[in-house]
Amino acid sequence: MSRAKRIMKEMQAVKDDPEAHITLEFVNESDIHHLKGSFEGPPGTPYENGKFVVDIEVPMEYPFKPPKMNFDTKVYHPNVSSVTGAICLDILKNAWSPVITLKSALISLQALLQSPEPSDPQDAEVAQHYMKDRESFNKTAALWTKLYASPDGSTGSADEADLYGISPDVVQEFESQGFEKDRVVEVLRRLGVKSLDPSDNDTANRVLEELLK
Amino acid sequence: MGPTKIKQKRSTSTTNEYLDSITTPSKPDNSCLISPNGKAKDSTSLDNVGDAQVSDESEFEIEDLLSSSDEFVYDEDGIDDDAQVMLSHPIEEKEQKHQKEGNMPDLDYTVMTMQDIFENMLRRVDHLQPIFNIPREDILLLMQHYDWNEERLLENWTEKMDELLVEIGVTQDTGSTPHVSVATNETTPQGKTTESSKRGVKFRENFTCLICCEEKNTETFSLECGHEFCIDCYRHYIEDKLHSGNIITCMNCSLALKNYDIDNVMGHESSKKLMASSIKSFIQSHNKNYKWCPYADCGCIIHLRDTSTLAEYTRLHYSPFVKCNNDHRFCFSCGFEVHAPADCNVTNAWIKKARKESENLNWVVSHTKECPKCGANIEKDGGCNHMKCFGCKYEFCWICDGEWAPHGKDYYQCVMYNNEDNPKKSRDANLAKYMKKYTFYYRIFNEHELSAKLDWKLGQTIESKVRELQEQMDISWIEGQFLPDSIRILNESRTALKWSFPVSYYSDQSHNLTKIFVDNQSLLSKAVEDLSELLQIKDPIEIMRRKADFYNMSGFVENRKFALMECGRELLCRGICKPMD
Repeated sequence: MSRAKRIMKEMQAVKDDPEAHITLEFVNESDIHHLKGSFEGPPGTPYENGKFVVDIEVPMEYPFKPPKMNFDTKVYHPNVSSVTGAICLDILKNAWSPVITLKSALISLQALLQSPEPSDPQDAEVAQHYMKDRESFNKTAALWTKLYASPDGSTGSADEADLYGISPDVVQEFESQGFEKDRVVEVLRRLGVKSLDPSDNDTANRVLEELLK
Repeated sequence: MGPTKIKQKRSTSTTNEYLDSITTPSKPDNSCLISPNGKAKDSTSLDNVGDAQVSDESEFEIEDLLSSSDEFVYDEDGIDDDAQVMLSHPIEEKEQKHQKEGNMPDLDYTVMTMQDIFENMLRRVDHLQPIFNIPREDILLLMQHYDWNEERLLENWTEKMDELLVEIGVTQDTGSTPHVSVATNETTPQGKTTESSKRGVKFRENFTCLICCEEKNTETFSLECGHEFCIDCYRHYIEDKLHSGNIITCMNCSLALKNYDIDNVMGHESSKKLMASSIKSFIQSHNKNYKWCPYADCGCIIHLRDTSTLAEYTRLHYSPFVKCNNDHRFCFSCGFEVHAPADCNVTNAWIKKARKESENLNWVVSHTKECPKCGANIEKDGGCNHMKCFGCKYEFCWICDGEWAPHGKDYYQCVMYNNEDNPKKSRDANLAKYMKKYTFYYRIFNEHELSAKLDWKLGQTIESKVRELQEQMDISWIEGQFLPDSIRILNESRTALKWSFPVSYYSDQSHNLTKIFVDNQSLLSKAVEDLSELLQIKDPIEIMRRKADFYNMSGFVENRKFALMECGRELLCRGICKPMD
């Protein structure tokens, strides 16, 4: 059974290279098909200092078919679903090749965090944020990293609005008109409004209309 | 009135009389052969008959039937002396068909097989070779990459030849690293051989394959890039990709495996599989021009060069029927069997409906039936709808359960849906009525389908029957062809009849033309049943004795079929038949 041999060898290769700061472990020793991997957020990105855990399912046809990978850690990234952690990456789909290992796939994920592909997004809302306002996006992504990907496991709580990079002023403004905060955040998220120019009446009206529905 | 000397009569009688004499020799007064058309061209076709003075009694003229019906007329008494004339029957019949379909645009199509396409591709490669001046295998890769679009390939080729070769993996891109930087991190393949000898299958001792991580004495494969893996892994890898139709590359870089590499690793002719899947995906992506024959296990491909005629077909409510090399006829637009007189819309609506209703209804009405008199269960195992109960000897019609006797003499009335009863207005009653109407039509449709299947089975045995005739009656093969011809006409007509019921289902029942259509259905039903019954004759002597009947009947059936199809088309063109849910 070459698959088991290969997986064991891949585990060993990860252990032999502590410099890469990658981990690969079985979820359950008796099941070699289900693993958890982790890697560190690339430095110089909003994901720096984060530890990202990935759920890995190894199919029967491995290594001729790609492993199924999903982020366990919540990530704010155009190519990762902010809800399910699903990943949009070609090498995990049609560009898979048998020479790719679990380790190299994890490295590719790390590279993906470094250079997002907003033109081929998994999460449209996040991708829009990324393309419209990079600074605000980076802030939100860093907040998510701090909240969900701290290596010491400390997860603080954050304001709903902050989580989606929505400026508190905007939320405040609609709240003051008598709408509930959760609802305001939900609508602003849906319409992709992160901040509001005081002169931009069109957007304000659109939000109001949606709130009144 | 006994058997008629039709030939003599033809020159003197009016057409109506003449028709009557074919259909009902014993009842000349029964003249309701109508087909709706009064266009100018009809009068010319009538002129062809010679001396037609169309009777003024019928408001519709008898056009289709008459235009060439003289070709089918044979003396009912004269059996042997007409044999020579009859030989020409199949040829003339074809010409006639052509003439009939002449007023619709020509469908310009070719029938191909995978092999034809493959050879075509190789020819195109040969044709490109002097222009490209690279090995044929490489051109094949280029063509594959460009989805066999020669023009786009040539355009790009002149612009960026070298980039293209790298892109498809013919040559190595020396500037960049392989697309995955894996193998380099770990043990590099033990390749110390020179560039030229790297490509191919080799034997190695104690080779560690990076894919399966086994160390063994094994055959290996690599391209010029030197990314060497054991043959088992390569086989597994290629096997997976053969069905994709895409170019297969080295597992570790973008260098392409050529067809001979694939054959080398996988065994003889495996690359054909890749070519086949490449062709399949080509057809898939060009499905406006290319269609697979929908019949099971038929590998024919129809290539329609100019799809613009299809619109004209749709407009005139014709359907673009095509025929593959294995004689399967089907509609190029919707992929169903020949469904005239229904057009594709009616067909789709009907099929959808049948699927929707099938849970409630289909099987209740489709299989066995009780004898209307004694209640014995009867299963139909032959094509004709004239049933005779084995128990009580009661003869009845399989379609309407009515007594058979009037069917033989009068025209069928059992195709007419009688919706005059049931005047209740409540919604339930309406629904029941609606279901009843649908059930009625569905049942007839189904019966004809079953009959058609049985006819088809009969057709499968016809060759041996012809041989039997040859041996026992000492006739030539060609002379015996009237039997398969009759079967073919029976099959086609039954299919047309079958598909006429969806048309009448969706037609405005109160319109005059619908009534005429139903009359036409009756006529064809009667004719088809007669022909079907004729084909049940087993005794070779009897068959030869009634040869003239076969010719007369099948010719008549054919003409009735065209009349019905034209009438159905008019229903569609005039919007009297509208498929709806």
